[in-house]
Formats: sequence, C-alpha cells, structure tokens
Amino acid sequence: MVAAGHGAREGVGITVREVSLPAGHPLLKACWIAGGLGVLALVAAFALGGLGPRFWASYWTAWLWGATVAVGGLFFVLLHHVTRAGWSVAVRRLAEHVAGTLPVLAVLAVPALLAAGELFPWIGGHGAGELGAAAHDPLLEHKEPFLNAGFFYLRSAFYLVAWSLLGWWFRRTSLRQDATGDPGLTRRLQTLSAPGLVVFGLTLSFAAFDWVMSLDPHWYSTIFGVYLFAGSTVSILALLILLGIVFERRGPLAGVVTPEHYHDLGKLLFGFVVFWAYIAFSQFMLIWYGNIPEETVWYAHRLEHGWKPVTLALALGHFVLPFFYLLSRDVKRRRPLIAGASVWLLLVHYLDLYWLVMPAVAADGAFAPHWLDLVTLVAVAGILLGAFGWLARRPALVPVADPRLPESLSFENM
Amino acid sequence: MAVADIPREPGAGVLPDVDPVERRPLLATGDPGFHGVTEAVSRPVEWKPPVGWYVALAVSLAMLGVFGVAIAWLMWEGVGIWGNQVPVAWGWPIVNFVFWVGIGHAGTLISAVLFLFRQRWRTGVNRAAEAMTLFAVACALTFPGIHTGRPWLDYWMLPVPNQMAMWPQFRSPLMWDVFAVSIYGLVSLLFWYLGLIPDLATIRDRAKSRVRQVAYGLFALGWRGSARHWLHYERAYLLLAGLATPLVLSVHSVVSFDFAVSQLPGWHTTIFPPYFVAGAIFSGLAMVITLMVVCRVAFRLEHLVTLLHFDRMAKLILTTGSLVGLAYATEFFIAWYSGNQFELFAFTNRATGPYAWAYWIMVSCNVLSPQVFWWKKARTSIPILFAVSIFVNIGMWFERFVIVITSQHRDFLPSMWDYFRPTFWDIATLLGSFGLFFTLFTLFVRFVPMVAMSEVKGVLPQAHGHGLGPFADEAMDPALDPDRGARHA
Amino acid sequence: MPDGTVWGALAEFRNPAALLEAARRVREAGYRHFDAHSPFPVHGLERAMGLKRSWVPLFVLVLGLGGAAGGMLLQWWVSAVEYPLVVSGKPFFSWPAFVPIMFECGVLGGALGALGGFLALSRLPRHHHPLFASAAFERMSDDRFFLSIEARDERFDRRSTVELLSGAGAAHVELLPLPGKEA
Repeated sequence: MVAAGHGAREGVGITVREVSLPAGHPLLKACWIAGGLGVLALVAAFALGGLGPRFWASYWTAWLWGATVAVGGLFFVLLHHVTRAGWSVAVRRLAEHVAGTLPVLAVLAVPALLAAGELFPWIGGHGAGELGAAAHDPLLEHKEPFLNAGFFYLRSAFYLVAWSLLGWWFRRTSLRQDATGDPGLTRRLQTLSAPGLVVFGLTLSFAAFDWVMSLDPHWYSTIFGVYLFAGSTVSILALLILLGIVFERRGPLAGVVTPEHYHDLGKLLFGFVVFWAYIAFSQFMLIWYGNIPEETVWYAHRLEHGWKPVTLALALGHFVLPFFYLLSRDVKRRRPLIAGASVWLLLVHYLDLYWLVMPAVAADGAFAPHWLDLVTLVAVAGILLGAFGWLARRPALVPVADPRLPESLSFENM
Repeated sequence: MAVADIPREPGAGVLPDVDPVERRPLLATGDPGFHGVTEAVSRPVEWKPPVGWYVALAVSLAMLGVFGVAIAWLMWEGVGIWGNQVPVAWGWPIVNFVFWVGIGHAGTLISAVLFLFRQRWRTGVNRAAEAMTLFAVACALTFPGIHTGRPWLDYWMLPVPNQMAMWPQFRSPLMWDVFAVSIYGLVSLLFWYLGLIPDLATIRDRAKSRVRQVAYGLFALGWRGSARHWLHYERAYLLLAGLATPLVLSVHSVVSFDFAVSQLPGWHTTIFPPYFVAGAIFSGLAMVITLMVVCRVAFRLEHLVTLLHFDRMAKLILTTGSLVGLAYATEFFIAWYSGNQFELFAFTNRATGPYAWAYWIMVSCNVLSPQVFWWKKARTSIPILFAVSIFVNIGMWFERFVIVITSQHRDFLPSMWDYFRPTFWDIATLLGSFGLFFTLFTLFVRFVPMVAMSEVKGVLPQAHGHGLGPFADEAMDPALDPDRGARHA
Repeated sequence: MPDGTVWGALAEFRNPAALLEAARRVREAGYRHFDAHSPFPVHGLERAMGLKRSWVPLFVLVLGLGGAAGGMLLQWWVSAVEYPLVVSGKPFFSWPAFVPIMFECGVLGGALGALGGFLALSRLPRHHHPLFASAAFERMSDDRFFLSIEARDERFDRRSTVELLSGAGAAHVELLPLPGKEA
C-alpha cells in the first residue's frame, strides 16, 4: 500500500464510541467512589475540624493545590492551541476535562473566602499570625485600597469566573467539533487562545499575590506569580501522564495514547521541574544576597521553627531527585516509572503549597502537621476526581475530529 | 475502523508537510528539491558577491574603524572619556553589554529551543540566527573587556594560579557574567559548528579550486555523510540543543543578577531573571528579522526564508513582548504594593522624572509597537516587520538604559542626585560596536552557507523514506506537487 | 572475502526510499562492514542497518556532572580554603552565590562532551578516505544517497556484491581502490 501522504494520515476514522467510557465502566466507578470519599472527607473536616485558623489553613492549602492543578489544565489547553501543537491532541481532551472542574473549585472556594478573616491578617478582626488588626499597621494602611475585603472578593470572583468561563468555552467548543467535524472550530480555538493566555497570565499573577502572597502582607516578591505558575504546570503535566496511563491501560485509549506521548509529556515535565527550580532559586538567591530584612524574614521563617527540614525536603523532592530521575529517556517511556514520578510530583506540589501557606498562618508559625491536612487534601482531590469523572463520562476521551489527530497518533520521538 | 487497526507504517513517525488546518505547506514554498537547496545556498559562497556586499562591508569596516579609534582612545586616556560619573557609575558600557547579550539569545532560541519543539520551519533561519548570536556575544564581551580601567589586567578575572595568591571573587555577579557569557559564546560556537560540518562538506565537494577545497575541507573534518556518524551527530545535536536551552535561561538571568543582587530600588526585584530572558529573546528576534529581511532579498533566498518564517517570528515577538509588558505591570504594581517609598519613587521617577522621555520611548517601542502583530497582515508585511523590528531594538536598548541609569541617578540620598549625560565617546563606542557586528555578519554571509542546507533538505517532503521507490524519478514524485495537500480533503 | 586491491563497492541511489530498501537488503544478506551516506540523516536508516544506540549521551552526562562538580569545587576551595575573604557578611562557603558558575561549568562540560563524544565515536576528523576517490561521491553532500560495502567483509565478492547493489536499484555502482592501488 502506497502511503497516501507523508505521515499525516487524513481521516483516521475513530468513532466517539470507541474512545468514550461506557456507563458503569470501572474507571467511572472509581471516580464516583473518589468523589464520595471526597465529600465524606469534606463533611468530616467541617464537622470535626473546629473551623478555627488551623482548619482554614489546611483547607486553603488543599484548595490551592486543586486550583493550581485545574488552572494548569487550562494553561495546557490554551498553550496547545496557540502553538498549533499536533502531538498533544491525544491528551488534550483529558486536560479540557481537568480545566472543566474549575467551576467546582470556585464553589469550594466560597467557604474559605467567607472565612478569609481567619487566614488573611489584613482583613482586620481575628488577627491570624502575629500582625494584629490593620488599624495599627502603617504598611497595611498603605495597602488598604487593594487589600480590603470587598475588592479582594471582587478580584477572587473575577479570577474564578474568568477561568471557569475559559475552561468551559474551550472544552465545549472542542466537544462540538466531535459532533460536527468542522475544522473551522479549530481555527476559532486557536485564534481565541492567544487573548485567553493574556487573561490567564494576568489573572494567575494577581491570584498568586492575592491568595498566597498576601497571607504575609508585609512581604512581596515580583516573581511570585511565575513561581506559582511553574508549580502549576509541573502538576498538570504530571496529572496528564497519570490520566493518560490510566485511560490507556484500563480505558479505551489503548493505541491512542502511547509511550511517545508519555515521552513528550515527560520531557516537558523535566523542563518545567528545572524551570520551577530556576524560579525558586532566583527568588531565594536574590533575597539572600540583598539581605534586606523586610524580605529575608519570609525565608528566615522557613528555616526556623522546625521548617528547615521541610525546606530541604522541598528542594530535594521537587528538584534534585526528579531532575536525575527524569534525565533518562527510558524512564520517560516506561509507564510504571513515569507514573511513579508523576504521583511523586503531584504530592510534592502539595508540599510546596504547604510550605508557602502554613508558616504564615499556622499559630506561632511552627511546623506542626495536623490530621486536617490529610483530610482536606483527600476532600479536594476526591471531589475533583469525581467532577472529572462526571465531565468525562460521556464525551470521547480524544478529540476525534481534530484535524491534527493523525499527527498525534503517528509521531515518533528520536 | 477500530483504534487498534490504525496502520502504523514503519518509519511512519513523520510530521505532516501541510498544515491540516490552514491547508498550506509548512516549509519552503515551491519545493526546490535537494539540489535546488544546495545551489541556492552555495551560490553566495562561491560566486563573486554583488556590489551591495562590498558596500556593506565598506560601511561596516568604517564603523569598525570608529570602534577601534574609540577603544584606542579609551586605552590611552582612561574611562574618564565616558559619561560614567558618580552617582551613575555604571553607564552606557553596561547598557550596551546587556543589549548585545540579549540580542544573542534569539539565535539560541531558534537553534535550540525550536529544535526541541520540533518546529521544522526553523531550518530556514537557524544558521544565520546562530551566527548572529556568536557575533552579538563577541560585541557584548568587548564592553566588560574594555571598561575595567586597566584592561591589560583583565586576565585577573580568570582563576589562574599566580604569584600574588590572588583569586577571583566568585560571589560577585560580575564574575558569574565572565563565566556565563564566555561559556555561552563557546557553547554557541560548538553548536553552530556542529551544524556547519555537513554544509562545509557540501562546499568542499563542490569546490573548483584546491584552495577552497582545502579551506572548507579542513573544517569539514572529512565528513562523508556516514549513517553511523549521523547517528552520533543527531544525538550530539539534540543534547547540545538540550544544554543550550537552560544555558540561554541562565545567561541572561546571570546578567540580570548584576542588578538584582544589589539593594537599589528598581534593581533589587525577584522577577528580573525571567523578565530579562523574555526581553532578550524579544530583542534578539527583532534583530533576526532585521537581518533576514535584508539577506533573503540580497541573496535571493526568498523561497527558503519565507513569509511563513516571518509570521512565526512575529508571533514569538508578540508573545515575548507581552511577557515583558506583564513584567512591567507587575513591577509597577508591586512597587506600590510594597509600601516602600524608595521603590515607589523609583518607578514614578522613571515615568515622570527627568528621564521620562526615555521611559516612554521604551514603553511605546516595546509594548505598543508589537501589538500590530495581532494582525496577520502585519505579520507578513515586510515593511511593517522591518519597522517594528527596528523599533523593538531601539526600545530594548532604552529599557536597559532606563533600568541602569534611573535607579542610579536618584537613589536613597537626594544630595547625590544628578543627571547623567553620555559623552561623544559613549556614542561612538556604541555605534562602533555595531560596526564589529555588521563586519562579522557581512563576512559570514560571504564565506559561510547562510542557511542550514542539510537541515532544510532533511525536512523537505522528499526526505521521507517511503512513498518513493528506487526507480522513481524525482520529476514524477507526487510529493513534489504543491497541490497535493489540497486534494486530500 | 577480502580483496587485495579493492577497498569496497560504492552504489549510488536517487532517493532516500531506495537507500533504505537497499540497506535492508544488504543487512539481510549478512553483510556487516557496510555504511550508508546521505546529505542529511535519513529517518529509519539506522533501524534498517541495525545500528546500535549512540553512546554520546554518556559522554555528556559524565563530563557535564564533572564540570558542575569541578566548578563548585573550584569556588569552594578558592573562597573557603585557599584565600577566605569576608564579602558582604556572607559565609566563606556561600553556596547560593556559587550555583550560577557551577551550573555554567556543568553546561560547558556537557557541551564539550557532546561534541567530543561525537568526534571520538565517529573517529573524525579523518580527512582522507578511500570514498573520496569516487567522482560520483561528490554528490553525497548534495542530493544523492550512497551505500558502501567494504571488501574486508567476509561476504564481499566483486561480482555478487555488485550484483546485489545493482539489483537493489542503484543508479550506479563502482569499485573503489585501496589507497595507492588500482581497482
């Protein structure tokens, strides 16, 4: 048979039914169980957690973990479209579903935002941390036009709504293409991904300042948004590898998602692990070198009160170990090995957020893990998995009519 | 058909030649064929150059002469001939240094980063872009070289054992610069050279004179296109690309550390590393566009360096320009948010103080002018591309000027405030450095194949090892049909 | 069987597909001392020829790590052992400040490893080679593809080897002399 084109086969002809999950599929069941467990954990946390500052610190950390992963999914979709990527078509639908969970996360954010006074010292009142009420603090007075509850809620709502809308629209348009097969939809997705990325960049930067940096309202770092972005991207890449493997091995994506995709995702994962380390080190080294007390206090805190081992564990676990592990070409192509790295990095991302949030909000700032940390994490992860399952239960798990799907199915790495 | 039945042809892992969405060829237009590529790219190296080349060389040499005079006068009279004066002790030399290093980064982006992302369109421009990097780094290195006051003692910066038991002060970012920029130059040279080897072999094999055969053959290392060698070659190329990528990030980050490790408002800010890298790629791409607009016409390479290449580069300019804009906004916001009066003053002073004119040139050139590239018509219009690329380079020079000068001229102590003015020799040295750059580049286009022939051939449709048989004639090859993509709807 | 005056046979092909097919046949026929030559790397050729993976990555890894270690070692020794100076109140072994140079030295090592490894494993430079005696071979770097089978291969035979290559669709087959001999 003479090759029709050179590599890019036209009209692959996969049907939606072949790559979607039938009702009652074990993977869907697993998602429902995870969702149920998540809800149980959430109820238990609220019922037994005491709703004090420590509870909200755990809840917020877990929520941030979920939010950064989900918004990473949005970034992956936008980036895929803006770069006209072909190789990633086979995993894009999974990322679209992940980004589709953003509305659920928005709902989960509401309790924390309502209880923001327990977390953010500048929302006068309960005085979490050692700063006390805003009225006696000239710095907080200066920041009051920005750091006030009303504007904060408005901004938070804006970020969540913007992300939810973007995630929804990009997923819905992609699903519509499954039905109509219209390549013009790809053009629309591509065109709108660029302004989408502009919105993403601005909202993620300011969300990082609002939701994490202002936990320590005297401190500031211009690179903070980039830091959160780096961790978010590492997480989504890890998650996509895991989802790809799971849906390939136990789901209908056998032969569609291949070691070529894990290899590419693994290379990107390696790259972003290095990028994360570069950003983390830049922030640290510049503050260490300048040695200005109003900046160094943030790091000093994370090297005292029992936090030093955590800091070292973060450096080791988020960079050194994954760096050497992911160097190998073989590791990136073998499912158990790359899956292990992905699980590890998702957990280490939680550690990263824990390290960012807890020293600022835990009472007297000491390192003191709590059962609530685990329960809230299970709650968020479970609910997100449930939401993912709900989103993924009917549509094709691969954009069957995407014009670049043939390239995605047949490309090879060196 | 079931997913499992999708036929996987052996060696089928090739990328499509026609964009499935836009329905247009992804690479060179009007398939030149392998020999066509060889001819088009070798010709400028083998024939007598057009008059324009001699004119360009003459102008470049004249500017290089200016550089020589400026440096000679500097050596004789000392650093006082420049405008550097307390409080602005770092003046144009460091601005020029950062400017040139930044320009070099786009070459590595195109060579290495786009290679890792399997962007085959890079093959039309990567050779020239990498050459640009080498020459930009050479220009960059002259500034720290000559500004030390006693340049004949520059070797003290190297960790060479000596009778004074003296060693470099490794905690200084200026030392980090010495290593970073030198190593960047060296690695770029190695990467560029590796890519050149097969093309030097082409010139060697076509050489009509013994002199040319030996000159090019010497550096071609006896390359014979062996499959075994290609195997090692491709691996080395991939790994060099993989090494060059973090290198690019690190070099301009280290350059940004020159400022960011200090305590000056406007300098000491954590976003400098990625912000500088984005800005470097931004300015470098603009320089690539400036050069390629001229070269492709001068050497009749329009079919190898096409509007598609410019379209892509323009999009990258828009992206990196937007990142730079995001960094500006972040810095401004955090300057206010910090509540630090010195920080806030530094930024309001930039926008409204004595150097506001420079600040607004910077903003309009860097943030506003690339916005035209949202429109496809602008991205594929040669005059607009050329104009915007010039604006961006001007804007990026001014960005370094604004950062360096404004933070120094008004820092913590108002009694130290002063207005910096460049001298005639500052300007002459900057212009002269362009002379060095253009001289090297002009010589490059005459003596070295300007397009990576072997790489371009490797991404042509005919390069795939299937669909053709041993007895197929190139002329009958359906792959050469430019309408092929449209038929497979 | 080795031949006294001939270095080997050289066959020219018009396009990559022909070269791939011929390489497959030559390998299936049991030859081992053969090589293919092309103006660019042909996709799938190393598989057709049965070539093993390249060891260049190992050069890069070893020299890269060595470079990084060397860079850190140099800085530590100079700053904390040989001539310690207190600079801006930082400790003698101020490792955050040493990371940039350590990284750069690592990259330098890796780059030298890549180029050096490539040259060493390919045994280049080698400016003189029997293949250059062929006039047709000049098109190797232009638009033609070649297969060469060395006479030192056991299965080499002037007649049957040339027949195999012609039968695989070579546009042109020639025998190349050993340096200093006539074919």
